[in-house]
Amino acid sequence: MKVLMFGWEFPPHIAGGLGTACYGLTKGLAKNFVEVAFVMPKASGDEDQRAVRIINASDVEVDTRYAHLQSFSDRVSFMEVNSQMVPYVGMNDYYQLVNQLNSGVFEETVPGEKRKYSFSGTYTHNLMGEIEQYALVAAELARTEHFDIIHAHDWLTYKAGIVAKRVSGKPLVVHIHATEFDRSGENNLNDIVYGIEREGMMAADRVCAVSDLTRRIVIEKYGIPAEKVVTLHNAVEPTDRIVVRQKAVKEKIVTFLGRVTYQKGPEYFVETAQKVLEKDDNVRFVLAGDGDRMTKIIERVAELGISDKFHFTGFLKGDDIDTMFGMSDVYVMPSISEPFGISPLEAMRASVPVVISKQSGVSEVLQYAIKVDFWDVNAMADAIYGILHYPALAKMFASKGKEEVDNLKWEKVAAKLKTIYEDVLNYSGHEA
Amino acid sequence: MKRKICFHFQISQPFRLRTYRFFDINKDHHYFDDYQNSYLTRRLAERCYLPANAMLLDLIKKHGNEMAVSFSIAGSSIKLFQEYCPEVIDSFKALVETGCVEITGNTYTHSIASLYGKEPFMEQVHLQEHLLEEVFGVKPTTFCNTEIIYSDEIGEWLAEAGYDTVLTEGARHILGWKSPGYLYCNPFQTDLKLLLRNYPLCDDISLRFSDRSWDQYPLTADKYMGFLGGLPQDAPFINLYLDYETIGEYHVAESGIFDFFRALFERIIASPEYQLMLPNDASRTETKVSTMHAPWPISCSGEEKDTAEWTGNELQQEAFQQLFKLWDLYKISENKEAKLNWLRLQAADHFYFMSTKWFPQQAVRRNFDVYPSPYQAFINYMNVLNDVKLQLELAPAKHTR
Repeated sequence: MKVLMFGWEFPPHIAGGLGTACYGLTKGLAKNFVEVAFVMPKASGDEDQRAVRIINASDVEVDTRYAHLQSFSDRVSFMEVNSQMVPYVGMNDYYQLVNQLNSGVFEETVPGEKRKYSFSGTYTHNLMGEIEQYALVAAELARTEHFDIIHAHDWLTYKAGIVAKRVSGKPLVVHIHATEFDRSGENNLNDIVYGIEREGMMAADRVCAVSDLTRRIVIEKYGIPAEKVVTLHNAVEPTDRIVVRQKAVKEKIVTFLGRVTYQKGPEYFVETAQKVLEKDDNVRFVLAGDGDRMTKIIERVAELGISDKFHFTGFLKGDDIDTMFGMSDVYVMPSISEPFGISPLEAMRASVPVVISKQSGVSEVLQYAIKVDFWDVNAMADAIYGILHYPALAKMFASKGKEEVDNLKWEKVAAKLKTIYEDVLNYSGHEA
Repeated sequence: MKRKICFHFQISQPFRLRTYRFFDINKDHHYFDDYQNSYLTRRLAERCYLPANAMLLDLIKKHGNEMAVSFSIAGSSIKLFQEYCPEVIDSFKALVETGCVEITGNTYTHSIASLYGKEPFMEQVHLQEHLLEEVFGVKPTTFCNTEIIYSDEIGEWLAEAGYDTVLTEGARHILGWKSPGYLYCNPFQTDLKLLLRNYPLCDDISLRFSDRSWDQYPLTADKYMGFLGGLPQDAPFINLYLDYETIGEYHVAESGIFDFFRALFERIIASPEYQLMLPNDASRTETKVSTMHAPWPISCSGEEKDTAEWTGNELQQEAFQQLFKLWDLYKISENKEAKLNWLRLQAADHFYFMSTKWFPQQAVRRNFDVYPSPYQAFINYMNVLNDVKLQLELAPAKHTR
C-alpha cells in the first residue's frame, strides 16, 4: 500500500506537534509495511528519510495544463489574510512569531522535539497564496505519482488533498491535529480557516481526529457525519535522553511548561498556586514559557502577593526543558482546550507526576495521571498537595507513569491507521 | 438426610467521605457527605432493605421456622439506619423476633482491621457486639468478617473471643480438590467451624441475574434448583452469602429479583431434598469435620480471592499503614468523636476506591464510587486521615466540659 501524504512540516524544522506527529506516524507506517511519500512545501534536505520519501513541493514542476485547477482556488483567492497561518498557533502568537522571525531568532530542533519555528522566506506574508500553489503541486503529483490513498494533515494541506483526490480519483483521509476552535476559541473563529477545514472534512472519505474530544468537535461544530470520523490518538517517539533529577532549592517544585496563552489556562495555574501556598510554603511554582498572557499573569501573581514563590523562566528550549523536568516534583497542564497535548507525556517520561485537565485529548490515553476540570482550582490544588505530601502517590506515578508512556507507540497508532486505509479502500472499491 | 442451605446476607454501607481538601485540615472536622449518606441509605432502604425484609417476614409467617436466613449488618450501617431511616431497624427487629433470623457478629465499621492485627480487630468486634446487644438484644456466636476475610490467625482470634462458627470464602486456591459443601474447621482451634461459600452459585445470582448475554438468562427458581441438584450429592452444605443489595439494588425490582427469591425459598422449603439452615446450627450438627488451612487471608474478592482489592497497590498500602499507625494514639486519646472517625476510616470501601486492580475498565465495575480516580480517592482519604490524627492528638481537656 502506498500513501501520498501532505504535510506542512517535518523534523528537524518544526513549529508545533504537527511535524513530530507526522514523523512518528510515517515511521510507524513503514513498520507496518505501508509506503509513504511525504510532500511538504519546503524541505531542507536534512529530514530523516529512512522511513519515508520526502517530496519537496518547491522542486516539483507544475504542468501548466493543469492551471484550470486554478478555478478551484479562485473561489478562495480573496482569502488572503495575515493570521493563524501556522499549525497550533493563534493570532497573537503568530504576530510574535513574525516578530521573532524579523529579529532573526531561529531555532533548530532535533527529531522528536517540538520547540520553535524555523521560517523560510515569504511564506508568512502570503500563506493563502502558498496554500494554493501547494494545491497545484498536489495536482501534478497526483498525476505522476503512484499511490493508493491520500492523507492530508491539518487545514494548510486540505486544498492539496482535495485537488489530489479530484485529479487521481483516489480516496482522501484528512487528519485533524487541531481545529480552529482550539486555536482561537469559540468567539474568535477565523471564518476562512474554519471554511477550509470544513471543506476538507466534507471532501474526505475518512476524518482522523487526535482525540475523542476533537472528534466530538468535528462532529458537532463542523457537522461531519459521525460514522466518517475516527479517533486516532497520538503516541510518542522513544528517546535516549536521560533526565537527571537534580535541583538547587530545598522546596518542592511545581511546573507549568507551555505557551502562555488563553488556551493553555495559565491563569488557573496561578490561582492554584495561591491555594497551595496558603497552606504550604515549602513549594515553589514555576511558569516556563512565553505568550500574550504574560503581562496579565505577572500582574496577578503580584496582586496575590506570591511573587517570592512564583517564578518565570521565559521561553525554554532543548536541554533547559530537560533540566526543568529534572527539577520538577509535579507537572501541571491546566489547558482549557487541548486537542491532544504531548507535553505531559514528556514529563511522565522524565518520571514527573502530572496533573492535567480533563479538557485535553491526552487525558483519554492516560491512567497514571490526575485529571481535573481546568476551572476547578480547588481540585487542582488538592491534587498537587496530595502528590507533594503523600509520597506513595508520587512514587507510583514515577514508575507506572513512565511505563505507561513507553507503551504509547506510533507503531500501534499506524497499525490502526492502516486498518482505516484498508477500510476506506474497500469501501470506495464498492462504490466504483 | 436433607442437604442444608445456608443463606446469609451482608449489609455494609460505610459513612462516605465528602470532598475534603487539604486546606480543610486542622480547620474543619466534618468529614462525611451527609447528603450522599442520607440519600443512599434511603434509596437502599426503599429499593432493597424494606421490601426485602417484608418479603422475608411474609415467608416466615407462612412457613414458620422452616424459613431460615442470617444477616451481618455492619455497625456503620446500623448507625446510618438510626440516623436516616430508623424504620429499617424496626423491620430487622421484627425479623429477629421470629427466631428464624440470625444476626452474626462482624466489624463495627466494615473494617479491614483484621488484616492489620489482633488488637484493633478485636476492638471492632467488641464494639459491634455491644451495638448488637443494644439494638437487637442478641449475642452472636457466628462471625462474618468484612468481605468474609479470613485466615488461620483471624480464626484463632475469633475462637478466643468465643465464636464457634465463621463464614468465609470457598476459595479454590485454598481448597484445591476439596468441596466447599462440607464442614471445615480451623487447624489450630478445631472447635471453630467454617462454613464456606459456594461462590459460583452466588455469582449466578449477584453478577449474572440480569445479564442478558448469559446463556442461562433468564434465571428462574426452577433453573436454580437445577443448579443445586447438579452439585455433588454427598456434600451436606450449600452456603450462599450475598450482599443484601443484590435484591432490589444490583438487580432492580423490575428484573424480577424479588419474585425469584420468593419462589426460590418456597421451592427449597417444599423440596424433600433440602432444608434451610442458620449458621449457628452448623456447630450443633454431627457432621464430620476436616481442617482447612488459610495461612494468608482470603476474601470474596474477584477471581483471586485475596485481599489485593483493598491493600494491593502502593497507595492502599500507604493509607493502611498510616491509618493503623494511629492505633496507640487511639488507645490513649479521649476525643470520642475523633476515635469514632478513626474507626470509620477503616472501612473497606475507602480502600476499594483507591484500587487500581481493574485498570482500565475500573469505572464500570465499582458500585457507589464518587471519585474520578483512585488517586483522588487516596488524596481525599489522606487529607481526612491527617485531620483525624491531629484531632486524636488534641489534649483531652479541650473536649471535656
